[in-house]
Amino acid sequence: MMENEEKIVEKAQEGDKDALARLVNEYHDRIYHLGLSMLKQEQDAEDMLQETFLTLVEKVHQFKGNSSIYTWLYRIATNIALKKLKSKPRKYPHIPIDEPDFKKIHEKETKEEMEFDFEKVNNYKFRKTLNEVLDELPPKYKTVFILRDLHNLSTRETAKILNLTESNTKVRLFRARNYLKEKLEDLKTEELMV
Amino acid sequence: MSKEKKMYEKVCEYLGCDLDAEPCKELQEHLHKCPQCEVYIDEIKNTVKLYQKADECEETPDSVSKKLFATLNLDNPKQD
Ligand SMILES: [Zn+2]
Repeated sequence: MMENEEKIVEKAQEGDKDALARLVNEYHDRIYHLGLSMLKQEQDAEDMLQETFLTLVEKVHQFKGNSSIYTWLYRIATNIALKKLKSKPRKYPHIPIDEPDFKKIHEKETKEEMEFDFEKVNNYKFRKTLNEVLDELPPKYKTVFILRDLHNLSTRETAKILNLTESNTKVRLFRARNYLKEKLEDLKTEELMV
Repeated sequence: MSKEKKMYEKVCEYLGCDLDAEPCKELQEHLHKCPQCEVYIDEIKNTVKLYQKADECEETPDSVSKKLFATLNLDNPKQD
């Protein structure tokens, strides 16, 4: 959050262009990131970014101040991204609800722990692969993962942005994390990981 | 509810929350004697960390910011 953010928002609501510019400057980076991880394509991310901030300029006077301006922006941006995803329907893998099979985890001999090489993220191709795996997730799971784990929003904020209950948000986050872990495990055998 | 089912729910609950929070006492006790669950939780944590690190590497290209400010008809404060 910016210093004096409430004041800046107030000024922006009165039509002060400098105040608006400061808000755009502060938050456009995060929103572009959100777009990239939600939509994968740079062009789509850029479109989402522009639409989000055009909405800010147009509707900032409607902002009531009962949430922070950034959750308000996230809500706008997320809705735009979800709409874009809906307009290009595709088949997503089925996410089983009783995964992980807890019995199976316990039956396994202590298996070797997966190794992670965090340096690999410096490699563009590797990041692309990660993003492709993330993109396999159905939007309702992917969105929660992105907001919670990549944008550090709280369970409560995420629930609010997506109109979910907090417990629903947790369940979706758990399933998303679990799916990604399993996929990375598969990748490892393809030697994409170390 | 069986003991196992209860523990399962604790693991799921934990893995849907902030991962740097301490697990509840019951879960902690279980993890002490259950390497399988411990490994499983660790792997999930590392998966999340990997994605976070990858995300940090992405930068917004200048051209994207420029175009945005131009579209909005606003001056970019960074360029003053
Ligand atoms: Zn266990």
